Order: sequence, then structure tokens, then C-alpha cells
Amino acid sequence: MSSEQADADRYFTASGIPLRGWYGPEDVPSPAREAGAGSPGVPPYVRGAYPGMYRTKPWRVFQLSGHGNPEDERERILFLLSQGETGFIMEHDRNTADHLYNVDHPEVVARREDVGQTGAVIQSVRDYETILDGIDMGHYYAHPGGAVVQHAPFALGCYWTVASRRGLDLSRLSGTGQSDFFLTYLGCIPKRQIPTEAGIRLNTDIIEFCGRYLPRWVPVSIAAYNAADTGLNAYQELAALFANAAVYLDEINRRTPESLTRLAYMVGGINLRVGMDFFEDICKMRAARKMWVELLRRRYGVADARAARLRIHIVTAGSALAYQQPLNNIARGTIMAMASVLGGTQSLGVATYDEAMSIPSEHAHQMSLRIQQIIHHETNIPAVADPLGGSHYVEALTAELETRAWEMFEEIESRGGFAAVLDEGWLHDLAAGNQLDLAEAVNRGDRKMVGVNAFVEDVTPWEMTGFEPVEGVWGKSMERLRLVRRERDGRAAATALRDLETACRGDANIMPAVMEAVAAQATLGEFGDVFSEVFGDWKVPISF
Amino acid sequence: MEGADLILNVDQPGKVLFAKTALDGHWRGPAVVVHVLRDAGFEVIYLGMATADEIAAAAVQEDVDLVGLNVGGSLAVVMRILDKLDVSAPDVGVMLGGTIQPQHRSALEVRGISTFPPGSMFSDIVEQARRLVEVRRGSKGDVTPA
Repeated sequence: MSSEQADADRYFTASGIPLRGWYGPEDVPSPAREAGAGSPGVPPYVRGAYPGMYRTKPWRVFQLSGHGNPEDERERILFLLSQGETGFIMEHDRNTADHLYNVDHPEVVARREDVGQTGAVIQSVRDYETILDGIDMGHYYAHPGGAVVQHAPFALGCYWTVASRRGLDLSRLSGTGQSDFFLTYLGCIPKRQIPTEAGIRLNTDIIEFCGRYLPRWVPVSIAAYNAADTGLNAYQELAALFANAAVYLDEINRRTPESLTRLAYMVGGINLRVGMDFFEDICKMRAARKMWVELLRRRYGVADARAARLRIHIVTAGSALAYQQPLNNIARGTIMAMASVLGGTQSLGVATYDEAMSIPSEHAHQMSLRIQQIIHHETNIPAVADPLGGSHYVEALTAELETRAWEMFEEIESRGGFAAVLDEGWLHDLAAGNQLDLAEAVNRGDRKMVGVNAFVEDVTPWEMTGFEPVEGVWGKSMERLRLVRRERDGRAAATALRDLETACRGDANIMPAVMEAVAAQATLGEFGDVFSEVFGDWKVPISF
Repeated sequence: MEGADLILNVDQPGKVLFAKTALDGHWRGPAVVVHVLRDAGFEVIYLGMATADEIAAAAVQEDVDLVGLNVGGSLAVVMRILDKLDVSAPDVGVMLGGTIQPQHRSALEVRGISTFPPGSMFSDIVEQARRLVEVRRGSKGDVTPA
């Protein structure tokens, strides 16, 4: 039987790519066959970013964490590090960080009990000092928050300021920002937010600043995870990722073409989502590495092997986890983590089994670490790079994803580019359509989800509760805010904020002024007010 | 009997106010539920992230039959909204969906509030919405029981 004959029953990937019953050599386009026969660690990097892969560089165990007061956030980070996490992430309270509100903002006061439930409340550099007390910033790779574009200058400025005060050399400090457009311009849209154009400017400022002072930092980690978890499918995620990257590279090219190759390397630290379509997401990672090489070569004429090495952080899909029978999510997390490792990730966060009901409990966090550690130490999977390379199926699907992603990349370009498809809501419509199709398929029973619409009987002998965050966070945060305002040099803070405003209105890089304002103990809400005043508000393109 | 109850409302299944209780702009869940309710014939006003005062005021002003809340935070914030609605619009039904911790569901059920966590079936959501509209219209005398 030929592979085409085996197609009688229709099977598709999660993104709708038709699947054959089996694959043979004739299904693999010849360029893909060549790429799949290459070596890891050399362009086009389909087979892996580094020659030795996990033998020489184990993936970073890197979990989202944070809640409550700065002390609570610190405690959870220390717990995770003690359990084998190899970098740490500082999650910020959504109520304040997303919107750049202090806790005395009326919108926050109206929901004060929510404060601290989704991350720690961090309003000034003092809070960073509390969280980082006793944590070796020179040793650990960190993501100090700033997932939100307009929040990143403050978050990064605080972290770098604490590092400087400790006498650490910023040029040796390693970690990652995020400043992700897909989070707050697509999936989780805040009450107030600067327009996309201003966001691109801020992000390019951060990239330039890191290029100059923090060469080991990943300045903006484009988090296509957020695009995918909002609904974009695998090839749409790739297209959106590179459309976003192209915006930064275009802007760098306009400002300082001579630094493009060096800064392109820094932009090439990105973030993808791995969901439950095992092979599609493995192939997506392989395709992503190749596409980065192509993008740099074709669009910018950059062939530098280091710049073209895409480094990937994977977060396993929160939206793939179920509220019902939550222990099943440990199995789901394991499958997604295995796909991430087989796809050649550099860094991994496994969404916790209580994801659908709360922020992570300590136990769920520990399980996510254990999943990674079991794969690392017990399975022998990491011994060999790209173990699926050369499979007819894997090479064919990698090539197909790349083809479809480039088609959509071109479509984004023809629609005016990355900012335009966000401003006009085109990506939102795509994501919403996919969300609805998926939800309807689950409701019809066409798509089975164990414990949700199939095999729903549950004999778990205890009830899962999720995590109960600490109470009284708002009151303590108000008190800290009052202290900062009382104890700082008010005139110095006001001057620094005025300088920040001037910098924002001008063309120069804002980051030196951000660092000054952070050092003068300007607060989160004050940063927000300056940005809002200078840049105005983004017009949200979706309506219900 | 039940069929007769609903005859009057075939063209007007009900008016729903839909809001998010937390300052968290995720819209994936709400978008799907709003679509499902409209598909079932409900008129839905989407308020987005709103405070207890805003929700209660809008419920009165728009004369809705039902308030749908997408939650994702502390129970206290939800309870404040329910308290406000009890005062301002006591006859309006309330339904909750989103990331609700299992131990909070019983506290809400005590107040007569049905909860729809992730993975809830559309048919269950629509059925409960219809039931609450029916109860409210019954209490206002809009529906003459057969």
C-alpha cells in the first residue's frame, strides 16, 4: 500500500495539516531531506542549536513563579531553586504590573483582595531588593519580570539596579526580559496601555541598551507562546513570531545598521508553546530554527552563524490542561515536556497540574520540576541530539509547517506588517476563530479531552484545592508605597521622572533615564503615568 | 408545561450582562461564552473588566435578566459584586465561570450561584442561563404560567 492509499481516513494535525497514514522518502521535499541529514549546531540548525546539545548544555529548568508580598515571592523562588530549578522567574501581580498601577489606584482599590493573587506586588526597586535578598544574582539566570511591553523598562531597570548596587558587573549578568506583544496586545489586554508604535520603540531601546551594557542578556524574548495560547495554531505562531522579530530588526537596521548582526543574536532568544500535538510541536521547533536562519539571510543579508542560532524557551500549554481530574495534567505535562526536549529546547517551564484552578501550589510546582528531572535523568532521551531527525514524517511535517508559516508571514507583510495586524485586530480574529472551533469540537465530542468530555468518572480520593494565596497583601503593599514616598528624596524622584518624560518625548534611548528614575525610587504607577501622558493609549481593536 | 412557560420568550430568550471581575485582561474564555450565549439567542452586553459598582449600575441601567461573571481571583471580590447586586438588582440571576477554586464553589452554591469552571459544556451554560431568565421573568410576572 502506498502512503497515499493510506490516506482514506482523514487525520489532521492540531493546526489542520492533513496527515498520511505513513510517510516515505517521497513525502519529504529534497531541501528538507538535506537539512534533516545535517548536523546539530550548524546552520540551518534544524537539528539543534548546539553541536553537543544536552550533553554540553542541559536545558534550563525555568518555571513561572510568584505571588503575594515580596517575601512570599522570594520564599517560592528559594523553594524552587532548592528543588532543582536552574534559573528563576519573578512573576508580577497582574492588577498592578499589566496596567502600571500602584495599589492605591482606584481600579486596584476596587478589587483589593485580588492583589498579590497572580504574582508579587512590586512597586519600587525596594521590593526587588527584598525578593532578591540572599539570591545569587551573579550565578543564576533570571527573568525578573517585564513580560508586559510597557512594564519591562521598570522591571529590568529595577533588577539591573539591584545587581549594580551589589557590585555585579552588568556586562557579565545573564538573564532575559520578555516585553511581549502577544501577551498584552493579543491575549490579555490591560485597562491602559501605550500604543504598539511606542512599544516597538521601547523594546528597541532595551535591545540597544543591552547590546551596549548587557551583552549576555536576552533583551526581549518574543513569547509566541502567548500568541498560541490565545488561539494561533502552530504555523500561525511561527509566522507571528518572525513578523514580530522583523519589526525589531527593521528598527535596529534603521537606527544602527552596523550593529544588526550583533543585536540579531540577542533578538534570537525566543519563546514558543508546546501543546498536545506531539509531533507537530516538535516539528515547529525544528522549523523555527531554520526560519530564523532564512529570515536573517533573505531579509537582511546576515549569514553570521552565531546570529542565526535561535535559542528557544518552551512553556507547555496551560490551555491544554483540564480543570477536571487535575492529576491527568501531570501526564499531559510529561508528554509536552518530552516533546519540548525532543524538539531541542534550551529552557523549559512545565505548566503546573493545578493551572486551570489557581496559580501554582508548592506541590504542583515541585511536580513540574520532577517531570523535567525524570526526563533528564531517567529516560536517556537527552543523550542524542534531534533523535527524530531523518524520520520521513518529521522532516515532511517540519517542511510543511515552514511553508505555511512563510505564507502567513507574507500575508502579515501585505497587511502592513506586525503592528498593523495587531492594531487592526486581524490576529485577534484569527485567534478567536480558532478558539471557538476548538471549543465547539470539544463540545460536539469530535475532540476528546479525557476527564472533560470523555472518561469523566473520577475516583480520586481527595479534592484538589489549588493554591490559596496569602491574604492582606493589599494593605502591606499600601504601607510599603507610603514608606517609599515618605523616605525617598522627593525632589530627586520628581526630577528623574521629568527626565524620563523628556527622554520619552525625544528620540534618544530611554533606558538611561529609566535607570535614573528607578534609582531615585520612582514607583510603578509613576512610570505608568509618564508613559500614558507621553504616548497615549492603544485603541483596543476587539469588541464583543 | 415547561414548553408553555417558554412560549412568550421564544424571540427574547433574555438579556445578559457579561463582565470580568479581575483586572486581568484575558479574553479567550469570555469570547467563547459570549458567542455561545448569542448563538442561543441571548442579547449580551459585554462590559469587560468592571468593578462591583460598575457591574451593579450596568445591570440596573440595562435592565438585564442575568449577569455572567468571568472570575479569576479572590472570592472576596466576587462576594462584593454579589452583595452589590443583591441590593441593586435582587431579582437578576448570576452565573460564574473561569478559574474558580473547587473549595470556593460550595460557598457560591450556598448563595444559589452556579459555577462553570473551564471545560464546562455549552449546553449546561445555556440551560442554566435560560432557567435563570425564566425565574426572573416569572418573578416579574412577564410569564404567565400555563
